[in-house]
Amino acid sequence: MKATLAPFSFTSLPYRTNSSFRSPSLLLKSPSSASLTTAARGSVALKATTSTEALREGIAEFYNETSGLWEEIWGDHMHHGFYDPDSSIQLSDSGHREAQIRMIEESLHFAGVTERVKRVVDVGCGIGGSSRYLASKFGAECIGITLSPVQAKRANDLAAAQSLSKRVSFLVADALEQPFEDGKFDLVWSMESGEHMPDKAKFVKELVRVAAPGGRIIIVTWCHRNLSQGEETLQPWEQNLLDRICKTFYLPAWCSTDDYVNLLQSHSLQDIKCADWSENVAPFWPAVIRTALTWNGLWSLLLSGMKSIKGALTMPLMIKGYKKGVIKFGIITCQKPL
Amino acid sequence: MRLITHNMLSCNIKGVANGFPLLIEAGKVIEKEVDFNPDFLRHMFAKIEWKALVEGARSMGYAELPEDSPDATVLDSDESFLKKLHHALLELHLEEGALVCPETGRKFPVNKGIPNMLLHEDEV
Repeated sequence: MKATLAPFSFTSLPYRTNSSFRSPSLLLKSPSSASLTTAARGSVALKATTSTEALREGIAEFYNETSGLWEEIWGDHMHHGFYDPDSSIQLSDSGHREAQIRMIEESLHFAGVTERVKRVVDVGCGIGGSSRYLASKFGAECIGITLSPVQAKRANDLAAAQSLSKRVSFLVADALEQPFEDGKFDLVWSMESGEHMPDKAKFVKELVRVAAPGGRIIIVTWCHRNLSQGEETLQPWEQNLLDRICKTFYLPAWCSTDDYVNLLQSHSLQDIKCADWSENVAPFWPAVIRTALTWNGLWSLLLSGMKSIKGALTMPLMIKGYKKGVIKFGIITCQKPL
Repeated sequence: MRLITHNMLSCNIKGVANGFPLLIEAGKVIEKEVDFNPDFLRHMFAKIEWKALVEGARSMGYAELPEDSPDATVLDSDESFLKKLHHALLELHLEEGALVCPETGRKFPVNKGIPNMLLHEDEV
């Protein structure tokens, strides 16, 4: 999974400026469209000249490079496990994978998905762990979309290996421009992909558009804490912490759970619910770090390239963010009216 | 990419009114056997856009499907029809080629069986 491209030049990312965080309304919009120069990207000839395309390419490259390593450590579910608070787990335990499955089940339960679903879209599908699980569970047809061709290929290969090819397929597509007609899916699933969306309003709009009448939307995502009454932005030190994490993980913007709820409300969706599951995922990052610090883990990291190493070095910041209450792990669900 | 997936995809370029179904430019098509499951086919049948399936199959070199969508009763009585549906929907794979927007002619490449539906900046 080694990248052959020059490391992304973080200092030249134009898409986040301080001013965008003074106004809450800008928080959710696309950043400025200042372009990156090709010089900033090293020797690679760039097709992208705008920040949106640059971000998309950055995300794709990030996952092209790191997906193999994440799969080795996390398994085929590239999302947090759901744990009872204050439990301590080792990643080598089968308990880790069980916790990731539990995350899916708890999300379905929270959203009130009890009836059999027929068509699922997995938005930001990674290597397809959720897609394959949901397809098996419901006997449903599932399409997963990802920006990373490497992930899409791996996802398809895993589906074939598990004899799920007829139910599950994967393609390279943008969550902000989904290649589907309106109202196709009775479950719209976004498991830890919302963090990558530069325009949360557009992201939510697309999720709503592709949801069938009566269908459910489930968003599980990292957020920042809700702002208090009268607060316009996060504190500078909080902003700083998030900025440092954003650069490494290609996260263009953070918003709060409240922001998602407001967006869903603006689409007249029903049964909008949200919860803070930060305590239920808190054991996860220390466990990831413990695995990374084994000799095996370190060696795999070194072999995977700079993006993985930078990712690994950023993990303590995630822990700090959770501990200080800046970073939250939230679930937001709703139903599209019939 | 199999036709069961193609049946769900449309061109989402801004301003395009008729982006479905995408035309298929078949570069490399392979056939992969899949277990025959009549219940699955019966379950799927109502949701299939029939014309898109027939045209797509023809583009991939398979012309055995009836032009018009048959009555659902045929699913219980006609096993040979089910086998044709099974073959077209699930066993034909577009490995290399393109999906073409019927309105703009824009080509979305398919490589190693995976369609790339990303839009350029000027298409959104």
